[in-house]
Amino acid sequence: MSEILFLLNGAPVRIGDAPATRTLLDWLRETRRLTGTKEGCNEGDCGACTVMVTDAEGSRALNACILFLPQLHGKAVRTVEGIAGPDGALHPVQAAMVEHHGSQCGFCTPGFVVSMAVAHLNGEHGHDDALAGNLCRCTGYAPIVRAAEAAADQPVPDWMTADRKALATLAAAETAGAEYRPTSSDELAAWYLAHPEATLIAGATDVGLWVTKSLRDLPEVAFLNGVADLQHIERRGEVFGIGAGVTIEALRKAMVEVHPDFAEMLRRFGSTQVRNAATLGGNIANGSPIGDSPPALIALGAELYLRRGEEMRAIPLEDFFLDYGKQDRKKGEFVAAVTIPASAPALRCYKLSKRFDQDISAVCGCFNITVENGAVTAARIAFGGMAGIPKRASAVEAALIGKPWSEQTVKAALPAFAKDFTPLSDMRASADYRLESARNMLLRYFADLSGAPVRVLEVSA
Amino acid sequence: MPDTLPFPPRMGSNAGQPLSRRDGPLKVTGAATFAADNHPEGMLYAVPATAAIARGRVTGMNVAAARAHPGVVEVYTPANRPPLMHDPDEKLGLFGMRMEALQNDSVRYAGQPIAFVVAETLEAATEGAALLAPEYAAEPARVTAETGERYTPERVGFGGPLSVGAGDIEAGLAAAAHRLETRFETPDQYHNAMEPHALVAQWDGDKLTLDTPNQAIVMACGLFAAYFGIPAENIHLRSPFLGGGFGSKAVPTGAQILTILAARELGRPVKLALTRQQMFGPVGHRARTWQTLRMGLDGAGKLTALHHHSTGATSSFDDFIEPAAAASRTLYASPAILTTHDGIRLDTGTPGAMRAPGEASGSAALEVAIDEAAEVCGMNPLAFRLANYAEVEPITGKPYSSKALRECYEAGAKAFGWASRPLAPRQMRDEAGMLTGWGMGTAVFHCPMFPASAEAVIRADGTAVIRTSGADMGQGAWTALAQIGAAALGLDPDQVEFESGHSHLPDAGVAGGSGHTASAGQALHNAGEDAVARLAELASTDPASPLYGTGNAGVLARRGRLYARDDESRSESYAEILARAGKPQVEGTGKGARDPASAETYALQAHGAVFAEVKVDPELGQMRVSRMIGAFAAGRIINPKLARSQYLGGMIWGLSFALHEEAIHDRRTGRIVNADFAGYHVPVNADVPEMEAIMIHEDDPHVNVLGVKGVGEIGITGSVGAVANAIWHATGFRPHRFPVRIEDVLPSLS
Repeated sequence: MSEILFLLNGAPVRIGDAPATRTLLDWLRETRRLTGTKEGCNEGDCGACTVMVTDAEGSRALNACILFLPQLHGKAVRTVEGIAGPDGALHPVQAAMVEHHGSQCGFCTPGFVVSMAVAHLNGEHGHDDALAGNLCRCTGYAPIVRAAEAAADQPVPDWMTADRKALATLAAAETAGAEYRPTSSDELAAWYLAHPEATLIAGATDVGLWVTKSLRDLPEVAFLNGVADLQHIERRGEVFGIGAGVTIEALRKAMVEVHPDFAEMLRRFGSTQVRNAATLGGNIANGSPIGDSPPALIALGAELYLRRGEEMRAIPLEDFFLDYGKQDRKKGEFVAAVTIPASAPALRCYKLSKRFDQDISAVCGCFNITVENGAVTAARIAFGGMAGIPKRASAVEAALIGKPWSEQTVKAALPAFAKDFTPLSDMRASADYRLESARNMLLRYFADLSGAPVRVLEVSA
Repeated sequence: MPDTLPFPPRMGSNAGQPLSRRDGPLKVTGAATFAADNHPEGMLYAVPATAAIARGRVTGMNVAAARAHPGVVEVYTPANRPPLMHDPDEKLGLFGMRMEALQNDSVRYAGQPIAFVVAETLEAATEGAALLAPEYAAEPARVTAETGERYTPERVGFGGPLSVGAGDIEAGLAAAAHRLETRFETPDQYHNAMEPHALVAQWDGDKLTLDTPNQAIVMACGLFAAYFGIPAENIHLRSPFLGGGFGSKAVPTGAQILTILAARELGRPVKLALTRQQMFGPVGHRARTWQTLRMGLDGAGKLTALHHHSTGATSSFDDFIEPAAAASRTLYASPAILTTHDGIRLDTGTPGAMRAPGEASGSAALEVAIDEAAEVCGMNPLAFRLANYAEVEPITGKPYSSKALRECYEAGAKAFGWASRPLAPRQMRDEAGMLTGWGMGTAVFHCPMFPASAEAVIRADGTAVIRTSGADMGQGAWTALAQIGAAALGLDPDQVEFESGHSHLPDAGVAGGSGHTASAGQALHNAGEDAVARLAELASTDPASPLYGTGNAGVLARRGRLYARDDESRSESYAEILARAGKPQVEGTGKGARDPASAETYALQAHGAVFAEVKVDPELGQMRVSRMIGAFAAGRIINPKLARSQYLGGMIWGLSFALHEEAIHDRRTGRIVNADFAGYHVPVNADVPEMEAIMIHEDDPHVNVLGVKGVGEIGITGSVGAVANAIWHATGFRPHRFPVRIEDVLPSLS
């Protein structure tokens, strides 16, 4: 059992005896008896357990309920108890929460306060986005948003910046033992080849639920957050290479200028806390039919790089998804990277969900059509939520290619959706609705490229 | 709109102020202690194992495997559960519900506790419960209207009448120029307070300390005590903060009883903290309703008959029928009104009170039906509501103690811009091409009071302490009740210490039914006045006092001094009066309860009007509420900051009722398929539009001495209908089941 070393509210903590899948929340509340951090759902949906985690990359908000202790090695954690000053002085966001009546029953409040304090520290003024991952059942949010606005211009208290400085003094402990923490993809490749049954844990936003909800035992695990060379985004000419360990939030930031529609969909992919933890590799490797990144990546023509030992192979991303729960991944092979083109001006991403934020897509449709001299010369259309896997609409594409890009062509292509997809009815949407809205998305796409406004992603309040 | 509302001078100047909540700093720093934060020395953890079927029997469990798991201390099943002093299948008073405390091997709903594992760690207890791997003899689950057993209950809600009415419905319908019959379905909803239910039990001999969030602290002690054969006063129930209650945290549940039992048997403190998933079943919910409204209308758009029938779902073993039709009893004038109920038994947990029980579901149906009636008559929905305005309470004919609903309509409509609303649907689009609609609904909620008592003590230094067992579940009792007590004492709230939130205090009654501020507030008010009167007695009978001879009715209490009412140059501070009398303190007591005479004479209701704007995507059917304005008249407002938030929170619950919340049962297994926050949607920030709550002043000398009607629940009523009616106005589609689904709207768009 290797030792885990991190800073908790500024003081070093050394844990030598925790199981690899002990969550930070349980440890804080039951072992450390630091109970300001609350459990509202234990699955990353409510944000009541939000903590601030700082490392060399900066400070970010994470859900403590699906964060395993080994993921914190070498980092600094600040809980709600560490947001006020050492002398008890309220942080500006705390004072504003009191003044603006942002706390009522108070159970969600610690999570909100930490989310707000992190945004305040990072100078982020998009309060609605920063708070999208925190549920409140009393206030209706407006008083909380007003509190965030009121605190925005006040200076960051000294103690909030202390963690970054203190980290330098935290001697990273040697790592070894069962909860393997590789620091390079070469190490990971060799280890995983030797331990092909192990569970790879990147951000734990999915694997965390295997533990907290499904109560699964994970006898052998490897934590990937130390694998630095999988966490880069690089542009080489006309291609972006994205490491599997890149978080959704890092990817979102990188895509804002390049593929703005993809970036906006990634914003709704999950809350700030989830985006800060979840990785692109994880979202692909778990093979979910309703993961939001694969449809966009497939529409972009992404290549997937899979590594097994010393071998690396590249396949079109859509070929990775074989069937529900089944991917083209060999034992001991892991998702290493994805490449996408640096330019796709016609890419549009539409996410339909019952609730606006923090909801799994009923239908997620991504479109990328090339028109030359008035005719469609290439088409990549992919959907999530329409089949057991993220899937290309090949028949629709075929119905468009070679035809003039016109409303007539688009309408003529609509019946092809029924060839591509026979969606299910479930609690998120009926089969009919899924099929109809998929067709309507193509109409929307046509209108969008023709210059008419498209509103599917907007909060039109 | 004024931020403070007038208050009689003898109440002092504190109440009516938008004071920030006194417990705010504790809550924003994480220092506020909720039940599950307690961790007494030697504490064990309890985890219930829950049923995966909805009906049948447990035929086997691997108890040996669970017991053998390291850390597991005890496994309780029906085979070894120690006896209780009260049968869990027997009702216990008006508010006691039947529960599952391992009395037998039957399963009555999915999620029911069927075993109870106690261990040294939470992980061990959780693993132990999983290792039980129960086997079942399952019977088909009855979770739909078609498979449930229809029956006629004796009562609805907590002891309410099944049928209330006046006039001849059939004659009213026969004479009508237009007749309308319309049906509605409302879903199962779960309270989902942010804080899951939790309890820490510690015994010391026959004394029991309970840390558990509770909305009716003293009453709950009586219920808990009955199961253990101890006097209620042996229980010290501590509930300083509730992380939301919404009606689900008043009545003891089986898992709580088992936790207390385990603590006694094992001689160690035991903690129970339900998971979010375990909240779907054994801790109550708002049950489904199927409602029918029949209306007759004359040529002028006046109701000639209104029959509201509601079928409510309950469990197979206990009765809580949502009193939904009651919403139609008191709002619109009609010569004939009939409100009736029946029930359907399903294999679910027993429902209970959830924020605005009855009115929330009933108003959702009524307000849509009223809009349909307005449409039939070709009238603007506001004009139609005004045409049917009840000047006296329908059915009873009583005058209202106060009713500023007309002012609510006026202020709400003006702020919203209702006057420019086109009559026909599908007339408005926004600049982005979204179909836009405006809808409204009338809000109504009754004003109950519960028996409550309180103490007030004025101390030698002129400060005071007030005491009552009140419950702050977020609404702000710590602050509003303190303001009332301080006002009665003629002190600034900063000079008043407030002891509350545990059971060894005078009984503050129930924090429910929007009646807590009125009930506990009146008790505190009376206690404060009693203490001041004793002080006045000391002063007015003391020849050395400047107030000598004033008589205790002849003084005013203000800012820690008594003044002669007719000559304010004569005054003396509390500290001076006590010092000269040589007393360390004076004590007052007070009670709060409904005056039966006013209840007999007057109809007591709060009212409001809610206006909503909805935008609907014409191709994809996505619906978003973009604007909501509510205007409410609920008597005197003690703290506008707190009250406004109650209104807004209620309106969002209405929005959520209209568009989001629904627990969905798997018809085959009877299990709820979305029993978590990922699937059971409560609104996130992005779903909540720009909102405004306007407070309409009402002076009500009859409802109670404070003039307080209550604000906790009324915000939901009216809001559901307003959103649904706005959807109709945007699309032409008339919603008849909630939540409104995209699939419902879509056919009307193409």
